[in-house]
Amino acid sequence: METEITNKRPHRKITFIVLISIISVFIIYYSIMSIISPVRKLEEIKNEFGAKAAEKNEVDQKILMDSTYLKLLKEKAFLQSRIVMAETDSIYLTLNLSDSTANIEISGVVVHKAKMKSLKTSKILLAGNENAILSMLATPFTISHAFATIKKEPVMIKMAPKDTSEYKPDIMPDTSITEPVNYILEMNGGIRIYVYQEENVKFNARISHISFDLKDRLRDTWSALKSVAVLKVPEYHPFIKIRLPRTDAKIIYRAIPKNGQIAVFS
Amino acid sequence: MENEKITDDGAQAEIGKNTAGADSVNNDIINLPDNTLSQKPEARKPLFIVFRYLFIIICSILVTLSLILFILYAVPVLKEFSPRRKTEITNNQELKKDLLYKKQISVLTKDVQRLSLKFNAYTSGQSYIVINTIENRFSLYTNKKLIREGFCSSGSYTMLQTAGNKKWIFKTPKGKYWIHGKTTNPVWKRPDWSFVEEGSPIPPKDDFSRYEYGVLGDYALALGDGYMIHGTIYKRFLGMPVTHGCVRLNDEDLKVIFNTLNIGSKVYIF
Repeated sequence: METEITNKRPHRKITFIVLISIISVFIIYYSIMSIISPVRKLEEIKNEFGAKAAEKNEVDQKILMDSTYLKLLKEKAFLQSRIVMAETDSIYLTLNLSDSTANIEISGVVVHKAKMKSLKTSKILLAGNENAILSMLATPFTISHAFATIKKEPVMIKMAPKDTSEYKPDIMPDTSITEPVNYILEMNGGIRIYVYQEENVKFNARISHISFDLKDRLRDTWSALKSVAVLKVPEYHPFIKIRLPRTDAKIIYRAIPKNGQIAVFS
Repeated sequence: MENEKITDDGAQAEIGKNTAGADSVNNDIINLPDNTLSQKPEARKPLFIVFRYLFIIICSILVTLSLILFILYAVPVLKEFSPRRKTEITNNQELKKDLLYKKQISVLTKDVQRLSLKFNAYTSGQSYIVINTIENRFSLYTNKKLIREGFCSSGSYTMLQTAGNKKWIFKTPKGKYWIHGKTTNPVWKRPDWSFVEEGSPIPPKDDFSRYEYGVLGDYALALGDGYMIHGTIYKRFLGMPVTHGCVRLNDEDLKVIFNTLNIGSKVYIF
């Protein structure tokens, strides 16, 4: 009995050590690949928009770093984006990160204003001093995917009565339902806008927020793991995370079309 | 009794120590049959194994959980600390005297001014109305200034479905619209869904039963495609999404809007 135990133990120990080593190596590899991903993304942005910026502005490198010049350049980029969107009759969103406002506009008319309660941005976007980033912001983003805790169109199905005896007049709609409002707007270029409702006082709102955030992390990690497994650098999604009053968050989500456009002023 | 205590502690070493230092009286008690000493630890062995495995399982779960949490929460944070070159923003006074700099700033300022003018031209100086279908509120503007706001009723987002799978969806269209026509004392020509909704048979196209007087209030402003801004007899529903797509207002608001907006005035619905 004793000899059996002593024979098994080294095997187990070796298996255990090998397993731990494999997991550790993978975790380190995954972490390194993930840390590299923002650098890779910035390079991609520079390749796509940097050249254009250089062609447009044959200016001295020193001027490109000047605060006055950059301020004007940001303003120009934002106006260009808004004009492009105003040309359409569609509803669009403008995010002004410098004065923390989120506005809904239709054809250049601001139809709804919302004040952000908190704001968190990817460092890539904050490094908006980069000419390439400004050039990227000069064109509006288009929403490609959306994940939300509320429906875009809360359609209720009502079956028509067979005759007048079955007819029931409309009753007052229940406006007391306050489902938590959290959503992610993923745009072309991989940029994501996270909108969370400000009020998380109720327990179910907190749970909803945590579960929504966890689902997003799991989705992201799964996609990153798949990339890492085939020795690819996972895709990095620059983000803008904002908190808005619940009503404003709901208005914005329901107002913007499925593939609506967004302009960002960094 | 003392011996029982020793065996209860279960430590072989202590037994040995006791045996060595024991007197002749104690020897009788200590020299128990072999099976008494060996049986008890044997009996405890399965319990020890269970505890050991339980410990290993708990440790494994904790380690796995930590790894998952590291991947889910710590790695995204680490991403934000990834190394990259930072562009230094300068405010060099020397540079500001440079001719090329002055030229660039002047070009850029002109661009911004031109774009601002172009953008501001989109907001008409004339009267327009903004309808918020989510909160069921309206805002009326003249010369870019808010002159009146209040409650309205918009589409209920109800989908009326018949047994024959015919469908109507009652929602207010969103986007930019304009006033196509203005009517006083409008008459409502009931569409097919209005009869289907009540379970009544659908009458012929111009049947007299299709015409209803007084239900749309004193005024109506047509938005095209059959949608209108009109009055209502269901004033208690104002501020709620209850309509079949039209925008309902109370009498006072409707009168002001009717008198302020002209044919061609913009209507922004979101």
